[in-house]
Amino acid sequence: MRERPTIVLLCGFGGLLLLMAGAETGALFFLSSLRSDNVRLQQRFLARNRQLEQIRSSIYLSGTYARDSLLAPEPTGAQAQKVALENLRASAETTLDEYAKSLDSEERAPFQSLRSEIDAYWKVLDRTSAWTAPERDKYRYEFFYTELIPRRTSMLQVADQIAQLNDQALQRGDQQLGLLYERLRLGLLAMILLTFLGGAALAATTIFFLLRLQGEARQRLAESLAARAGLRDLSAKMVRAQEDERRAISRELHDEAGQSFSAILMEAESLLELSPPNGSASHLESIRLLAKRGITETRNMALLLRPSMLDDFGLVPALNWQAKEASKRAGFRVHLSAGEQANELPEEHKMCIYRVVQEALTNVARHAQAAAVQVDVHNLPGKIRLTVQDDGSGFDAHRTRGLGILGMEERVAHLGGTLEIDSAPGRGSLLKVELPVANWKAESTSESAGPESQNGNYSHSAG
Amino acid sequence: MGTIRILLADDHNIMRDGLRLLLERQSDFEIVGEASDGRQAIALAQELRPDIAIMDIAMPDMNGMEATRRIVESCPRTSVIILSMHYDESYVIRSLKAGARGYLLKDSVRADLIAAIRAVMQSKTYFSPKISQILQEDYMQELEQKEQDDSYDLLTDREREVLQLIAEGLANKEIANKLNLSIYTVDTHRSHILRKLNLHSVPEVILYAVRKNIIA
Repeated sequence: MRERPTIVLLCGFGGLLLLMAGAETGALFFLSSLRSDNVRLQQRFLARNRQLEQIRSSIYLSGTYARDSLLAPEPTGAQAQKVALENLRASAETTLDEYAKSLDSEERAPFQSLRSEIDAYWKVLDRTSAWTAPERDKYRYEFFYTELIPRRTSMLQVADQIAQLNDQALQRGDQQLGLLYERLRLGLLAMILLTFLGGAALAATTIFFLLRLQGEARQRLAESLAARAGLRDLSAKMVRAQEDERRAISRELHDEAGQSFSAILMEAESLLELSPPNGSASHLESIRLLAKRGITETRNMALLLRPSMLDDFGLVPALNWQAKEASKRAGFRVHLSAGEQANELPEEHKMCIYRVVQEALTNVARHAQAAAVQVDVHNLPGKIRLTVQDDGSGFDAHRTRGLGILGMEERVAHLGGTLEIDSAPGRGSLLKVELPVANWKAESTSESAGPESQNGNYSHSAG
Repeated sequence: MGTIRILLADDHNIMRDGLRLLLERQSDFEIVGEASDGRQAIALAQELRPDIAIMDIAMPDMNGMEATRRIVESCPRTSVIILSMHYDESYVIRSLKAGARGYLLKDSVRADLIAAIRAVMQSKTYFSPKISQILQEDYMQELEQKEQDDSYDLLTDREREVLQLIAEGLANKEIANKLNLSIYTVDTHRSHILRKLNLHSVPEVILYAVRKNIIA
């Protein structure tokens, strides 16, 4: 289905080009043959005209020679005239033979009569050569006027007739050429019309396919945009669902599992105080220790999933805890600077900043070999800016893009914010996130001296 | 000293049962009521006027810190001791701000609860040793990192004495009696202390004292 337009267009353009090329070479060839036909026709006409002229002049001359020989007083003179006459006769015969080679059907009958006339003429002339001198004197005038002149006249008439026919043949040839020329003209006209129509059809087809392609492309674009929006929506929903789930599990762990461990611990301690019989004390002690460990572990797990401070107090205490934990675990100092106003951020913004910091600190711990990390949350007019700067080994920010960074970008993009990473090997790294916040005013500096300022400006180092 | 009347507030029956079992072994302790959420705790406190309320933080309806604030407001004779799994500083600070007199971790109930009740009954504050330890460590690290001089060095000996008594929960009048000073002198000392240490309230003074290991 996809290849069909291509094939159609290829065939269309190829066919049109071939048609045009064929038409042009045909026309050129035809023109040149027309021209050579024309030349041949004229040459033939001229040649035949010349031959006829020759025959006619032979006949004239023969009349003259015959008269001279008849009128010659000396027989020797007559003899010379006779030889000349013979030559003339031979040349006339040759010319006649030549002319006979290119006879038209219409000329055949007149030519035959011309030939027989000429033969008869020669025979009449032959008769005079046998005459004696007295006979010549006696008959010559009569012969001359009653035989020779009329014969010659009729021969010349026949020759004229043939010349006329020749003329006609030339005209016919001209007409034929004219017809051929006309046919060529019509053919060319038809070809031009055909190529024009073909070109128009091809252009229409091309435009049709182009428009269809454009329409398809537009539709694809709309579809892919919709799909992307849908995907972003879905991922935002998933992030929200994940947070809800984490909160639920965290609460469940803390409130249910943790409390149960606490109760077990207390029961065990109560029993231990009743000074139990010999064997069971050690068992109770191990139950007590297990319960204690259970409390610690469920609490840590719950906090890692989602720190309860985030819901109970807000962003800054949660970040504080996060900074403290990272310091304890990873062995670098984390300095946090954040105004209390950050606690009033909308839930999704708080969550986004908290998770981005969490991810960033995890990355630093994993890759950076840093000694210190500075986390800053700045309130700006209409937006909040988070920066995480470490003094570690850095990385090539253009090439390394882990899943963690993608996740951060996704969260930030969903809130309409920007995420930049500036890092190079040996230069540490700086993560900068800016989130727009509706109806957000920049914090006044005096506010930070409030009773909880110690919370907002806290640093922790590895223990 | 008469019977110490105690209110238990925790949303887990099993936890309350355990506490009851532990506390009733003390002959002078009496459990007067049990609440399973914050609102119930406030209502019972106002009705029963207990000496001590033992309060979980994570409770449905209203959390323990808010309930503490309201109980301290409406029943000044009732002292609240927080019993929680949270050991993060933010919970300790906010509990103190709400007016709690003690903060215990649930994994050290047996060791600390009775001592805490007795200390609080003597107007003192009480923290689980682990809490004190965490707060002190944090404080030391903070000082180290900010490379600041310890502002405690700025205090005079008399001011240090007054600081400790404030942190132990004594009112100006009691401090004046104890140190043989006029109440105005004590008040002056108090304001000097707060200014030098950049503190703003009694809970902050208590927290500071714990972090400095002045009180436990």
